[in-house]
Amino acid sequence: MAKQIYDSMAMKRALTRMTYEIIEKNKGIDDLVLVGIKTRGVYLAQRIADRLKQLENAEVPVGQLDITLYRDDRHDASLAQDPVVNEADLGFDIKDKHVILVDDVLFTGRTIRAALDALMDIGRPKKINLAVLVDRGHRELPIRADFVGKNIPTAMDEQVAVYVDEVDGKDGIELKKL
Amino acid sequence: MKRLLILEDGSTFLGEGFGSQINSTGEVVLTTAMTGYQKVVTSPTYANQIIVFTTPVLGTYGTNIDDLESLQPVCKGVVCHTYTDSMNVSSPQSFSDYLKNQDIPGIYGIDTRKLVRILSKHNGITKGSIIDAENDLEHAFDQLHATVLTDQLVDMVSTSKPYPNPDTGRNIVLVDYGVKHSVLRQLSRMNCNTIIVPYTATFQEIKNLCPDGVLLSNGPGNPYTLEDSFETIRQIQANYPTFAIGLGHQLLAIANGAKVKELPRAHRGLNFPVIEIATGRIITVAQNHSYIVDESSLPKDNLIVTHKDLNSGWIEGIKHRKYPTFSVQFEPEGAPGPSDGTDVFYDFMHLIDIRKDKINAIRESK
Repeated sequence: MAKQIYDSMAMKRALTRMTYEIIEKNKGIDDLVLVGIKTRGVYLAQRIADRLKQLENAEVPVGQLDITLYRDDRHDASLAQDPVVNEADLGFDIKDKHVILVDDVLFTGRTIRAALDALMDIGRPKKINLAVLVDRGHRELPIRADFVGKNIPTAMDEQVAVYVDEVDGKDGIELKKL
Repeated sequence: MKRLLILEDGSTFLGEGFGSQINSTGEVVLTTAMTGYQKVVTSPTYANQIIVFTTPVLGTYGTNIDDLESLQPVCKGVVCHTYTDSMNVSSPQSFSDYLKNQDIPGIYGIDTRKLVRILSKHNGITKGSIIDAENDLEHAFDQLHATVLTDQLVDMVSTSKPYPNPDTGRNIVLVDYGVKHSVLRQLSRMNCNTIIVPYTATFQEIKNLCPDGVLLSNGPGNPYTLEDSFETIRQIQANYPTFAIGLGHQLLAIANGAKVKELPRAHRGLNFPVIEIATGRIITVAQNHSYIVDESSLPKDNLIVTHKDLNSGWIEGIKHRKYPTFSVQFEPEGAPGPSDGTDVFYDFMHLIDIRKDKINAIRESK
């Protein structure tokens, strides 16, 4: 059973609000780079970059991190395994840059930790912020998002599905009972 | 009863009276609103104005209690091509009876197309009067020319004392420059516990009400008549999520260093296309303004343009660069008008919620 939390329009507005908030928290967007976590985080990052371009008339580079999740095994301690970074070629230098890491759903925080490790291996950014479309709670690490599209309190047996047009043929956020 | 509409340029229009039969003088403005005449007439933004409807027929569905934008309308007259006296089951009063009870004169049976052409040619304010056809015309014109229209319009429509619109959700303080009921209806729809304060409220008075967010309302007239409000607004935006509409938007812009200028041709109607810059999304909205934030004066370090009118390129929305503060020039409540713009109320709620979540997170961690 899936319950729609955001439709396409509401999701677009959430991304717009996050863009405004990114502008608010940063003095200028000169040093800004966006890094999306594959798959959907990349498209969300690209959309934020598109909005920044419209508003500020400036290109913000968008890179991607490929991180393999073991999401389905997460709740079984014997199978638990931390996410692994497969590919970390951003195509640009992040040294002294202000990186905004973008993902669709923030859950345990382990994916973000893997992403942070990968970023620190690539170069030393001036600052890293985290932007997520959905914060569903249940953190297992001391990680929080700086920019949140929507806080959705969830139970452990629920799943948050974020759909993006580029991959799924539609936009939206759904809450599913497993 | 035969009545006359006279303009300060010497034009006269002979028509039939409806509503109240008093003589009245005001700024003659036109609206292209096709529906919702009762909401238009009761909107405080039309304070001291004689409203010319370009839509040909008024009165067809009477009046009803749901379509009030204020309890005491402050417009000075209604002009239309055809008036039809009618009532229906949900309509306790005909439009004419309603206007009569509110001491507002109406005049119909005149060539509104010709009138609109005259008004469109004029720059700035056109004064006019609705008078009896038997009145001495020379005397009436003398009086019209001698009349000085007040610029203290907000003082006329703002509440004199704070009052609540109670609910159990977010606490909103609304600064009343002439708020339309539909703005309050939107807040009620989102369970906001709203306290409406006079436009003279100080920052300390607003602070004492512990708002989660502050809304600067729509209102009539020239924003520069409200000089005292600029410093208050600067303090508000530095402390609370702030959302402003219409006149509130202009005040917010001035408070942040922009300039506001008078439009050569005012925007009053329900179908103006507005583009949201960030996404390119185009919405159709109601507008009612004769002043506009001058884009060339916009301090780019402080403000960012979020919405523009597609036809004219004028600014229809701004956002503060440092604070969770934003505003729209158009009428997001769409009363009357399309509901495309109502999303901005949700954005305001979201700003409030995000801030609350952060405050709660800090409290928990202590």
